[in-house]
Amino acid sequence: MKRTIINIVLILTIFIIYLLQLNFFNWFTIAGVMPNLFIILVLFIGLFTSKNLGIIYGISIGLALDLLTSQTVGVTAVAFGLVGLLATIFDKNFSKDNRITIIFIVTASTILAETFIYLLNYVFLDSNINILAFVKILAIETLYNIILSIILYPLIQRAGYYIENEYKGNRILTRYF
Amino acid sequence: MYKNKKSGFLGVLVTIIVLIIIVIFSNNDSGVSFFENIANKVVSPIQNGLTFIKNKVSGNENFFTNVKDLKEQNEELLKKNSELETSLRELENIKTENEQLKEYLNLTEKYGEYKTISGYVINRDISNYSRTIVINIGSNDGVEKGMTVIGDKGLVGHVVSVTETTAKVQTIIDTSSSVSAIMSTTKDSIVCKGELDSDKTLRAMYIPTDANVIQGDSIETSGIGGLYPKGIHIGTVQKVVSTQNMIDRYAVVETAVNFEKLTSVLVIKNN
Repeated sequence: MKRTIINIVLILTIFIIYLLQLNFFNWFTIAGVMPNLFIILVLFIGLFTSKNLGIIYGISIGLALDLLTSQTVGVTAVAFGLVGLLATIFDKNFSKDNRITIIFIVTASTILAETFIYLLNYVFLDSNINILAFVKILAIETLYNIILSIILYPLIQRAGYYIENEYKGNRILTRYF
Repeated sequence: MYKNKKSGFLGVLVTIIVLIIIVIFSNNDSGVSFFENIANKVVSPIQNGLTFIKNKVSGNENFFTNVKDLKEQNEELLKKNSELETSLRELENIKTENEQLKEYLNLTEKYGEYKTISGYVINRDISNYSRTIVINIGSNDGVEKGMTVIGDKGLVGHVVSVTETTAKVQTIIDTSSSVSAIMSTTKDSIVCKGELDSDKTLRAMYIPTDANVIQGDSIETSGIGGLYPKGIHIGTVQKVVSTQNMIDRYAVVETAVNFEKLTSVLVIKNN
């Protein structure tokens, strides 16, 4: 029962983030660059719930985004699935209480996901490669993601511990009391 | 991380304020910001005084030779100016003749001869790296893959996939878009590609080495390649970037359509 409620809340959060990304962050940009809140969400799901759920949510969110507005269907799905997978690896090896590790995790996932999507789009669509512009936009987007995750983290942490209790009640090893 | 509640809350507040400041300053289009104004007000009187003294000391001996050079230069420029004015008048005559001939051949720039379906933009890409839009007309309205999409001012893109009620359009500012185009005055053919770092400009490449690129020239589709029909206005040349060898040079073309404010489009039916 609790798990279904948690899943319903997560799906509602996906819709809220999509509307935010489309309307608010289209305008509230740093030098014209928007953040990618979906990566933070998939990371959050992967860190606090079980391994399979992170990958499943990543692939479904990516697939939905691809079907809506992308020319290559499946690229974002695989990228977000990888982010979900990465989140479970981070969960086992890092503590979620330290600020530096959070920044590192968000940086690594953003860079990995966006580079993967860009490369695969280049392979399928034969787009023009402009490494300098891509690196500049990626750096600003990573910075924006880091700032947003620092702002949102107290909220995420509280919700996350509640969810973690539900999913891994007797196997929590990485939370220090 | 947020063990002490008060310092945690303060940290979050400071980060939010820093984020708002970064967003305001990075999107500020006007050249000089408020703080630069204050700094300039403090420094400029001193700077003005020092520059005045420097000019007085170093400028006096050049004053008389400069006057002679300036007079010669002035005469030369006046002569050149009158020559340019006569050639400009000739060009205007040729231009009006050209317009008349074009009308005779029915090659007008209005899209009256195309059958079009009108639609609205209902969705945009939320990624920073691609520029695809979704319109609210689909196969039920007769839209097919590959059809050209235009706005009221110029070319928007082409349809890449169709459902029954919607269609995805790849815009010309997307990085995977290449439009075969010609410059309207010199009729040289170039290729216009979308760029990552700008939503308002295209990069015009493969300019023939002997071509003369005029700033402000209008760029239209050439019809080569079979994707876009001929004669659709794309944009105007903003500037030309020359490089060491003439092969590499490119021009920056400003698109006629404002993609940030694009709402209604037309899909051209017969190709």
